[in-house]
Amino acid sequence: MRHPYLIYAGKRLAQAVAVILLTYLFTFVVVSILPGDPVTNVLRDPQNGFSEEQIQAIIAAQGLDRPLLIQLWTSLTHFLSGDFGLSMRSSRPVATLIAEALPSTLTLASAGLAVALGLAFAVAYGTQFLPGRIGSALRAFPSLFLSVPNFVIGLALIHVFGFQLGLFRVIEPDSAWATLSAAIALGIPISAQIAEVLIANLDHEARQDYAAVARSRGLSPARLFGKHLLKPSSLPVVTVIALTVGELLGGSLVTEAVFGRNGIGSLVQRSAAAQDLPVLQAVVALAALVFVLVNLAADLVYPLLDPRLKLVGNPERRPETADEATPSSLRTVAG
Amino acid sequence: MSTTSLLVVPRLAAGRLSALRLPPTVILSLAILAVVIAWSLAPGLFTAYDPARGIPAHKLLGPSAAHWFGTDHLGRDLYARIVHGTASSVTSALIAVGIGVLAGGLIGLLAGFLGGLVDTLLARLVDVLLAIPRFLLAIIIVTALGFDTVNTAIATGISAVAVFARVMRAEVIKTRQATFVEAAFLQGGSRWHVLWRHVLPNASRSVLALAVLQVGLSILVIAGLAFLGYGDPPPASDWGLLIATGKDYLKWPWLVYAPALVTVAAVLSLNRISRWLRRTD
Repeated sequence: MRHPYLIYAGKRLAQAVAVILLTYLFTFVVVSILPGDPVTNVLRDPQNGFSEEQIQAIIAAQGLDRPLLIQLWTSLTHFLSGDFGLSMRSSRPVATLIAEALPSTLTLASAGLAVALGLAFAVAYGTQFLPGRIGSALRAFPSLFLSVPNFVIGLALIHVFGFQLGLFRVIEPDSAWATLSAAIALGIPISAQIAEVLIANLDHEARQDYAAVARSRGLSPARLFGKHLLKPSSLPVVTVIALTVGELLGGSLVTEAVFGRNGIGSLVQRSAAAQDLPVLQAVVALAALVFVLVNLAADLVYPLLDPRLKLVGNPERRPETADEATPSSLRTVAG
Repeated sequence: MSTTSLLVVPRLAAGRLSALRLPPTVILSLAILAVVIAWSLAPGLFTAYDPARGIPAHKLLGPSAAHWFGTDHLGRDLYARIVHGTASSVTSALIAVGIGVLAGGLIGLLAGFLGGLVDTLLARLVDVLLAIPRFLLAIIIVTALGFDTVNTAIATGISAVAVFARVMRAEVIKTRQATFVEAAFLQGGSRWHVLWRHVLPNASRSVLALAVLQVGLSILVIAGLAFLGYGDPPPASDWGLLIATGKDYLKWPWLVYAPALVTVAAVLSLNRISRWLRRTD
């Protein structure tokens, strides 16, 4: 067991490093090759009122006059040493800008994840426990949650709690109630994906022979659930949570705009409006870094959590959507 | 259930529609989609109001018989604006999914069919696309391309490439191992013949279900980009833009709830149909 795990871990680690480097290359290519040119669009825009010397100074400071390959090499080596360069818009270090915006986004994202998990487990366990009609009605919830954009949920919460009930004022986006509302708006669509996997797993486990045996021996549904079904069906959620990291970040971009929070989302918006590429590139690279590291951690931990998983030969790819996470045997039965 | 296919055969004579045995929620979803498609093809048939011309005296009226969804801050009929904005929202979602299906499908097809080094290289490319949060990726691309609705559609499409590539690759690999594909090779079929005649048709069902699902998701992503102001500016009336305009008038909540309701109904219908397509294999 130990030896194949080390091989698996090594392969997975190498893959993660490769993906991080390639992601950096990819964003560099996207921002340098695509037709939009920040120098002509922003710096030379007469509305911004830069003088010719200032423009030349910014171009020299950013190294935009050097060949692309050299630009790539310097930006990559600087990035690896933690230097993200200067913002084109404000000439402040990108690292500082991100460090200022990060705490607010981290608070929102972790609160959103907590909401998503709580809601997903409540819905999934409800489908198993609640009688007939209500239980099957709950099955429609993930699909519904997935269809409502988080900015609509956010606006509805502001309308009901902010305007009608007066629980928080819109001009205080960092108050507890406002943060909770933002977390709910962010968490609801994400809970749908977790709940889908959880429901599929619970259904699958409940149909297994061992569950039938336990039932025939007179185990109450609650005991069967608590002692036998809960653990095997909840474990795979670890990997699903890791996959929602990207959406937590992507979703918080919009949620921050709805609630007027100052975080990575508003930083991205301001930088996008000004085509401030160094900032955008750093945010994308960091987001990809976080995503890859979280998923690497999930991949490395999961075989240790679930001893049923045997790592023989090539490591299996983890399920990455609710549909894939549904065991294939289940899909053919349900189909 | 697998019994359905047994029941369907003798019933075929009784008419194809009853043989399909559409669940009621699927019929409702198809009806909603039919309305949405009709709105985008011929908006003028469904409303007499001009979406761009407002009557200042009639601003911010609540929903009524004359104005189904009320009027906005310039006295324009909101229902008319939604109906006339449908074409833009639907077309952008279709453009996005078209890009996803073509580029993602090609990547998945090559990776799954050729295997080896090509597969490894393309798999890393897909990993990269998956590692960047989808919405952030779309924002970066639309920033590089410039802000308008078609570009938000292109950006959304590129951000969907990875998902299509993954599903297509999995389907191709599954089909490649089938006995009939082996038989086709043994009968002397060329690679491209087998690909075109056997592998693609077998993969198309899953990809179709995914495409329908992705039309719904793309509507949401494009609405999100329009909400943040990366699409066409007003007087365009994309659903996401209408919601964004409504957010400044939350005291008149129908300005948010009406376009939101239409968006959610459309996406929910697409999700339901996608599920149904997957189940009726």
